[in-house]
Amino acid sequence: MDPVFLAQDCINGVLMGLIYGLVALGLTLIFGVLKVINFAHGSFLMVGMYVAYWAVTLSGLSPYPALVIIVPAMFLFGYWVQHLLIRPIFIAEKNVREPITVIIVTTGLWYVLDNLALLVFGPDYRALNPNPLKGQMLEMGEIIVSVPKLYGALATLATAGGLHLFLQHTRLGRAVRATSLDREAASLMGIGQWKIFNIAFGIGTAVAGISGAVLTPFYNVYPTVGIPFDIKSFVIVVLGGLGSIWGALVGGVIIGLIESIGPNFMTSTWTEGIVYALFLLVLFVKPSGLFGQKQDW
Amino acid sequence: MKRSHLLSAVLTLCLAVPALAFAAPSVKVGNILPLSGPSASVGLQAKQAREMAIEEINGAGGIKSLGGAKIELLYADSKSDPNVGVTEAERFINTEKVHLLAGAWNSGVTYPTTAVAERYGIPYIVPVSVRDTITERGFKNVFRIAAKDSWWTRDQFTFLKDMQQEFGGTLSTVAFVYENGDWGTGFAAQWKELVKSSGMQVVLDEPYSSSATDLTPLVNKIRRAKPDVLLLVSNAADAILLTNTLADYKVSPKVILGSGGGHADPTFISACGANARYVFDIVEWETDVNKPGAREANEKYRAKYGTNLTGEAVDAYVAMYVMADALERAGSLDPAAIRKALAETDYKSGPGMIVTYDAIKFDESGQNRNAALSIVQINDLGKGLERITVWPKAARRAGYTPVFPMPAK
Repeated sequence: MDPVFLAQDCINGVLMGLIYGLVALGLTLIFGVLKVINFAHGSFLMVGMYVAYWAVTLSGLSPYPALVIIVPAMFLFGYWVQHLLIRPIFIAEKNVREPITVIIVTTGLWYVLDNLALLVFGPDYRALNPNPLKGQMLEMGEIIVSVPKLYGALATLATAGGLHLFLQHTRLGRAVRATSLDREAASLMGIGQWKIFNIAFGIGTAVAGISGAVLTPFYNVYPTVGIPFDIKSFVIVVLGGLGSIWGALVGGVIIGLIESIGPNFMTSTWTEGIVYALFLLVLFVKPSGLFGQKQDW
Repeated sequence: MKRSHLLSAVLTLCLAVPALAFAAPSVKVGNILPLSGPSASVGLQAKQAREMAIEEINGAGGIKSLGGAKIELLYADSKSDPNVGVTEAERFINTEKVHLLAGAWNSGVTYPTTAVAERYGIPYIVPVSVRDTITERGFKNVFRIAAKDSWWTRDQFTFLKDMQQEFGGTLSTVAFVYENGDWGTGFAAQWKELVKSSGMQVVLDEPYSSSATDLTPLVNKIRRAKPDVLLLVSNAADAILLTNTLADYKVSPKVILGSGGGHADPTFISACGANARYVFDIVEWETDVNKPGAREANEKYRAKYGTNLTGEAVDAYVAMYVMADALERAGSLDPAAIRKALAETDYKSGPGMIVTYDAIKFDESGQNRNAALSIVQINDLGKGLERITVWPKAARRAGYTPVFPMPAK
């Protein structure tokens, strides 16, 4: 295989993989703290993309500056979804650590959000306009690198780094980690479990908002846009280890590289087969994922 | 106890009153369409076109031979999933007791749902769904308005040959890139046959998933294959993503030729902008068609729904008129009578007849024998990007010279 081709494919694979990792980051964060899977995560991404779309369209800002609107809006959205929808389930099922009902409720939320978007915005495929990043490419001879994806990959690293610092070095971050490790012990130490749940959910949703801002410059916005990313996120999160920030990024890059390099040797649709085979393999061999912490149950 | 009796009495009354109100005769038509999922946008157009036609038909007095019976449209969302489609077809026939079925846009859904209709003997009108075999199973109850896909691919190759003859230049290599559903793989199978006698060499034969999150790997593959002609079958979201990514990576074949579907979606041009320029697409109908009533119908549609009619919307629109015409002649709601009337259809003029050809007439298999195709090029003639009919030459918009080959990027 031509080394130039390989370099091109690796660059695209890593960039796109990091962006997949960013999408999965919100899912893994919420799981890490609440220990429940948010099935509506793809819809949160969709909401994030619409928020990004409208923030850019209405304010005329570029997608990245528009993050000052998108991130708080999405944080509040996640915060209140947890407070109003998820918390009552935890209260109702006090004796259960991971209430299965949450899966049902978030699945319901997924349908409600997707159909609400269909109702409000119609099925149209929307492209960002104005879009200062559209068609921006860095050309280095035969190798072409997409600028919006490069920005997206940098945004991913910045987000992951920021979250890492927040969790390791702030008081609130420590409280989040404590709740994640043992919510009863954390409560006994005076940490407000519900508040931490709300905040963790809010942060996870805000990250979906960042993903929205990252994706809109090169991806269309439509009501079911979350579904293809959703499935990918589940695979990434399991691959990297549920609850692990860096695991999500590594998982994303692995999938990005498979998707990008694989088609040189086979029809591109077969790369999905490899991704799922790997997914099963990890589940069999190392169910906690590559970077998963030993579970505390 | 007493109170609950009262309650149930009130409830019964509530349920009974609307039932009485709807007792007037109506023809129930079950429509199976992709109203959510990757094809929701075309599903919605199909729904809107049907509703516009039925509003007109009901507004003009309904089906007179049935005492002015109104047509009632019921919808089921197939989500582009054959299993969902089959369940909904069963439900329409057994629970809703529909008199006719119509659908289902996705060939993959139409294929099994028409089999359900055939089993129950319920007439099934297929406005759009191009897979050949839908009308090649000896079914008696399936009537298709649109051209079969073998006619589409045949015309795509004839177009390529004609363009080389008219404008010179040779097209020596071709890449087949298609969505991996029934529709795309069906087209590709025929391309592989047709290419043998075309003198072109196939340099890439690549299916892809319409719900792919990244098409860059596919585009890089096309870039490395360097085809003269890029033949595509795409749904809406992927047609947009593919066109933009091709432009980003400066992939410049001499001809990019779509197969309707996503390339004909009204949002395609707005979402791709200048990247869509010079792309060719095969269609059944275009807004610049010279046919009485066509412009009025398009203007009405645009005023109502905000987009132009597409070939597929026109098929859905005309299908409703063909159905009303058959019901009028059948004068009965018996499925066999409706079937017989549909088979005898010869719809030449009258409202709704805005297709490019002269008459809708079904052959033995239920295929509309006259369905015809044309090819458009997307270009900007100073009034923004638009679709301009270029082929067959007789139908070409006056004064337009197609841009062939596409300028290199």
